[in-house]
Amino acid sequence: MGAFEYRQAEEIRDVFARHGVRYLFIGKSGAIILGYPDTTQDADLFPDRTPANRRALVAGLRELGFALTETEATDIVRGKDFIQLKNGPFDLDLVFAPDGIERFEDAWQRRVVVDGFPVCHPDDIIASKAAANRARDRESLPRLRSFRDYWLRNRDG
Amino acid sequence: MDPTREIPHDWLAEFAAAAGRPLAQRFRYAFIRTYKPVLDDARYRSFDSTEAYRRWCEENLPDWLGYGRV
Repeated sequence: MGAFEYRQAEEIRDVFARHGVRYLFIGKSGAIILGYPDTTQDADLFPDRTPANRRALVAGLRELGFALTETEATDIVRGKDFIQLKNGPFDLDLVFAPDGIERFEDAWQRRVVVDGFPVCHPDDIIASKAAANRARDRESLPRLRSFRDYWLRNRDG
Repeated sequence: MDPTREIPHDWLAEFAAAAGRPLAQRFRYAFIRTYKPVLDDARYRSFDSTEAYRRWCEENLPDWLGYGRV
């Protein structure tokens, strides 16, 4: 499997839109869409955890080419909070309850849309990484906070 | 939030350069593929909670991957 490509992100955007999936790019992949220069391996999505959205998500993932078994589809629909998918055209992490963010709706209200991609606000990306408190996040947070400051200064042109 | 905080010059140059690139090009530069032991060895995993996922990472992944909590 190769690296995650822009055209695959476009497929996520377009397929999920057709299925009415509510989600946000989060983590470093979200920051990269906002303009943060760094490297990462896979995409992290923060989907709304309502049952209807979970069902739409399964349908969308299958259309994208993820080979979900019935058990795996049931995991998604019935409320697992963290799912790693490596059974499709690209790797994807589904994070239904990211550290540091209380409710999807709050993050949705703060979202930033870039070329049609719904992305968590930089403050939410930073909050989730700070709350996760992993070694890899600790190392990246100072630069990510600086990027947030840069982004806030320049976002309106 | 502190938009007046000083941004180191080298980071500022990197942010400005990235801002000048189209999104598709930023994708090409940003997304890479390397093998991560254990993590990449299963086609599917699910966890009841994010806490359970964090605990699994700490108990199963090599420390050098950096997934353990500080």
